[in-house]
Amino acid sequence: MNRALIYSGLLVAVGLVHGAWLARVEISGAILDPLLPIAVAVGILRGAESGAAVGLAGGLLQDLLSGGPLGVNGLTKLVVGFASGLFERSIYIENPLLPAVATFAGTLLSEILLVVVGQVTGLGLESAGALPRAFAQAILNSAMAPFLFRGIKRIEVRIDRAR
Amino acid sequence: MSELLLARRRIAIFLVLVLFTLVLLSSQTRTADRREVGAVGTAILTVLLPVQAGMVRLADGIGQVWERFTEIGRLRVENARLRAQVDGLNREVAGLREAAAAAERLERLLQLRAQVNYHGVAARVIGRDPSRWFSTLVIDRGSRDGLARNAPVVTPDGVVGRVIEVTPFASRVLLIADARSAVGVLVQDSRDAAVVEGRGMERLHLKYLSRAARVEAGDLLVTSGLGGVFPRGLVVGRIITVVREEGALLQEAEVEPAAQLGRLEELLVLLPRQ
Repeated sequence: MNRALIYSGLLVAVGLVHGAWLARVEISGAILDPLLPIAVAVGILRGAESGAAVGLAGGLLQDLLSGGPLGVNGLTKLVVGFASGLFERSIYIENPLLPAVATFAGTLLSEILLVVVGQVTGLGLESAGALPRAFAQAILNSAMAPFLFRGIKRIEVRIDRAR
Repeated sequence: MSELLLARRRIAIFLVLVLFTLVLLSSQTRTADRREVGAVGTAILTVLLPVQAGMVRLADGIGQVWERFTEIGRLRVENARLRAQVDGLNREVAGLREAAAAAERLERLLQLRAQVNYHGVAARVIGRDPSRWFSTLVIDRGSRDGLARNAPVVTPDGVVGRVIEVTPFASRVLLIADARSAVGVLVQDSRDAAVVEGRGMERLHLKYLSRAARVEAGDLLVTSGLGGVFPRGLVVGRIITVVREEGALLQEAEVEPAAQLGRLEELLVLLPRQ
């Protein structure tokens, strides 16, 4: 089965769930963002290029569905996905803490980038209170990262078996 | 060498993607709404937005069901609080109604006192004969208030009875419904004289009415003033049924007392003006 097709379907489904359902549940100013752990997981499992591609696609989809300027989430998730892939061979993939730790770091990076992009482009992204919100976002994303990581891994195994 | 090439390729792809995103982003910032999705974006949204809208509606429905579910608990608590509040208000309303009714009764007593040529002493019922409910009752006025034996006792509705026992602070009243009671009356319209007796029941009995008297149900009976107890013209009751026996010289009737003898609370004891 075509990997791009599978990931496209996955991203669309997750993007819709994120926009329609998860966006309703706000915890300390943060909302579960499953697209980011997916980009991190793909980067770690498949490499930087795949992580960047999935991050960019997921981020753009998120921008498209959220009503914000196209590219804000696309750029941040692209960088996070790519950065995750840089550690592809230097970390122990089977470590159970890896998805959570990597997602935590990736989320913080993403939040910093969001503030920088907002400032540079003058898009008016709120930087006040960004730090506590970034940590809350990082904790939320880390909490669901192990499940998403396992899901991505299972998808990869099935794609490999199909070949 | 291949590692180096791979790394360069990786960096190149990354830079291309970043450049693409930056161009996209900068194009957005130049538009008035800071958003321009283009034809591709519009096509994607055309497909996805209805799906997202459906998912939102589904979430709304589930949210409403959950809200109703949790609302039951809240409503129970609020219901208990409101019930307690209603109970308190009901008690307050009952008390106010009671006070208003008492004030109305007392006002009518005052009006009656002004109408008759007697000095009226207002009294409150403080006891009833438990064995014969409609026969006697005790009032909170006695000889210290000027009450004397045989003083007539009335309400704004009509005659109640007369005082038969007097103590300094309380008196006993014999109701006109008592079998020992007899009151001289006149049929108000025909002016025929008769006597109303008690029978220990709710209704009274009219006796000694001439057969020639033309009376019928509904006729009003007032005190005749004969007998020296009740002043003339006080309402005693109303004829319910007339009994004319064949060959009898007199006719009798059943009378409903004007005063509500079973629900007396405030009374007026009439004393001759001195």
